[in-house]
Amino acid sequence: MSAEITKVGIISCSGEAIREGTISRLATRRVLELLRPDVTVTLCLPLFLAGNEAERNFAKTHPTITIDGCEKQCARWSAEKHSGPVSGALIVSEILGTQPSACHCSSRDLCQADKEAVWAVAERIAAEVDRVLADATPPDAAAAGTGGGQCACSSPLTGGSITIKGAKVKIVGLPLIFERCAERSIPADDSGSTALLEVVKIYHHIQPEEEADYRSALLAAYQDFRREAKQTK
Amino acid sequence: MANEQIGNPVLVIPCSGIGKVHGLISREAAYLVTDELAPARTDTLCLALLVKGDPDAVAEVRNHACITLDGCAKACAEKNVQMAGGRVAKAIQVAACFKNHRGAQPGNASALTDDGWTIAREIAASAASDAARLFAGEEVIR
Repeated sequence: MSAEITKVGIISCSGEAIREGTISRLATRRVLELLRPDVTVTLCLPLFLAGNEAERNFAKTHPTITIDGCEKQCARWSAEKHSGPVSGALIVSEILGTQPSACHCSSRDLCQADKEAVWAVAERIAAEVDRVLADATPPDAAAAGTGGGQCACSSPLTGGSITIKGAKVKIVGLPLIFERCAERSIPADDSGSTALLEVVKIYHHIQPEEEADYRSALLAAYQDFRREAKQTK
Repeated sequence: MANEQIGNPVLVIPCSGIGKVHGLISREAAYLVTDELAPARTDTLCLALLVKGDPDAVAEVRNHACITLDGCAKACAEKNVQMAGGRVAKAIQVAACFKNHRGAQPGNASALTDDGWTIAREIAASAASDAARLFAGEEVIR
């Protein structure tokens, strides 16, 4: 199976009775839409027991990551019962600790705490997707896939670009990444360049020897972003 | 309707399907009912917990009248409540509610637009009305 791996399935518990369930759902959507759009699909958890063979078969033949709100791990339990062992299992309450106490169940009430929590979990899911893909991809294929300096999620769909050693490099969702950095109050000067680089590395593969170039290019782009944001206010 | 159902909170259980906007509408409609429209008469539970077969969740759906809100005709919430031995007093399908909103742009699986919230509120109002009747020990038309 490993040679054919192109997609990772993500199953969110989406638990309705707890805040972490909403976070699991929104973070999963964030990964699907923005962070790893080309290499992820989602599977509908209730369909497992409702008898949908397509959902079960996908999870049998592709690596699957479950995102559970709490330690009861309903998504993991259901996936493993019907489709075998999962490749990764994350628990929102373990990632966030007590942070969700300020969060909400309904999206009509979403506040800054919700946004922070969703981003934090989405980043963990994206990292887990990368790990699972790396484990499932043969070394020669992995080398060929990263030859162009792009991340594991292949060609980015949308986003900004920066110039590295005279070549334009697209980074998927760069404006949203910058927005996230601004929300975290990462300064748009040298003191924030390391933090900026670390955030972008979550979404975009950067070789260690390229970090210095990326650091300065990202900082310049981030300064432009902050300047434009200030002007539009 | 058995008398013991009078004054018994009604469970409003959405499918929360994650692939389409319909699932999000079902989820938000459920929260509108349990948070705003009928908080004293209704409650919700994690469908995933029921899917898992958690004894407390199974007991909940067996001891309370349930209103299921499903995004599509696959009716995962309704089926899973039934499989757990629960009584589905009313099964609402979001997709069917779109018939009155031709051309509506409800949003996507991550966020609802004004159209989406309008549909969610309509569904919630209907579910809250049914919940009030069930809470009072009356039957509702499925």
